[in-house]
Amino acid sequence: MIKIDIKEISIKKHTENILLLKNIKLNLTGNKIFTILGKNGTGKSTLIKSITKLLDNNIYEINAEVLWEEKDIYKIEYEELLKIRANYIKYIFQDAVNSFNHLKNFSYYFNKFCVDENEINDLLKYFILPNKEKLFKMYPYEVSGGMAQRISLVLALLTKPKLLILDEPTSGIDSAIANLMLLKLKEFIKEGENSVLLVTQDILFAQKISDEIALLNNSTLSEFYNTEDFFSKYESDLSLVCG
Amino acid sequence: MEKILSVNNLGYKVKEKTILEDISFDVNKGEIIGIAGESGSGKTTLAKLITGIISPSNGNIKFEAVNNNKNSVQLLFQNTGQILNPFRKIEDVIEEAIKLRKNLPDNLELEKERIFSSVNFQKKYWENIGCNLSGGQQQRAALARLLAVQPKLLILDEPFSAQDYESKNTLVELFKNIKNKFDITLMCISHDLNALRNLCERVVIMYKGKIVEIGNTKEILKNPSHHYTKYLIKAEKYDLDHSELMKRIN
Repeated sequence: MIKIDIKEISIKKHTENILLLKNIKLNLTGNKIFTILGKNGTGKSTLIKSITKLLDNNIYEINAEVLWEEKDIYKIEYEELLKIRANYIKYIFQDAVNSFNHLKNFSYYFNKFCVDENEINDLLKYFILPNKEKLFKMYPYEVSGGMAQRISLVLALLTKPKLLILDEPTSGIDSAIANLMLLKLKEFIKEGENSVLLVTQDILFAQKISDEIALLNNSTLSEFYNTEDFFSKYESDLSLVCG
Repeated sequence: MEKILSVNNLGYKVKEKTILEDISFDVNKGEIIGIAGESGSGKTTLAKLITGIISPSNGNIKFEAVNNNKNSVQLLFQNTGQILNPFRKIEDVIEEAIKLRKNLPDNLELEKERIFSSVNFQKKYWENIGCNLSGGQQQRAALARLLAVQPKLLILDEPFSAQDYESKNTLVELFKNIKNKFDITLMCISHDLNALRNLCERVVIMYKGKIVEIGNTKEILKNPSHHYTKYLIKAEKYDLDHSELMKRIN
């Protein structure tokens, strides 16, 4: 469905070029949850942002080819790229509260989709969010980070994307809420040809949710293994955590 | 076993809302005790009461083995930016804190080195100001600042949040070393049961402002008796189904 081939991403500096990622290749197919595990600062967020060309060209030097339905995201017209971002590939960022304009209340975001009211209410209820009447009047600065993340996920699900990309979905939230998200994402990939790509450092979460996992380390990404094989291959590196 | 702290029937209310109710437990000298529970269970409020930042609505806190030194209890806040002045050199901050002691060390330089090395804060960063440090470095510098005043009881509030798996294990070892090297008692507040399992001998499980279970960490986490502890363990492993989640959350 989406074929990603990142030859090199580096940060431009006045004096030197710092290589962040090299030779990253992923091929995401439908009905699966893919996870990239990696420590802080390994470039996980940079990698996922590069998929839909979200990195700033003034700071990053990118040599990549990302094929979405046979079209290269790095070569298509900007309008077409916007369409892909709006309809097919959706992100839930770690700092979700800053994904929103703080001067606009949530009705602005929900009204954009004009979807079935029942569907909105069902999703809000599922994620233990305030009901539509109450939430629509609220502003982003009135919700906690965890709530903003759930609202982002609800909004993303309402657009019925093909690929959902999540950055550190379990950081800063209770494990019960993370659990809720896990169940919903598993439901999501069963519909159509949907898939999920998430980056995390939460090994247990990765183990429970993923169909395939890869490790990002020293600027390079390992190949994707099915979850069981991944843990038998990298057990010694990760054993301290799984304890 | 010698007690350092005893908390008796502690309660805390904000207007009519009860935040903590009937909290009683002892802390033994030299142990590492964990406080676990979800967000909103009252863990940080308890830390603030013990450090005297806020006063209880009822009950009391008695320090058994601590003399009248006001620096005896120190709290490492979750947001370490609140401890460090972002515009002062770290070395100066630590030096100033050492000078707050009643008995000054013979060799100030050696004492600074001892403190910085115990928290793995490299010498090349000593001259940096707070805002030029990474989150992890800030946390270690803040910890050094607390150790510099020679506390007897050190409370750590969610020290593992935003740490990756390798850093969590490094921190667990660092806290154990600090406990032995500085002869202090540690209280660690965290919702991360796995980290508490590796760090603490005993654990207190809090739920909606009350203690629901207290005892040996490994035993409690292996054979929990309270339904909330069972739920926490299951949630930690992401093993809950939707109906279990809804039942608890509602």
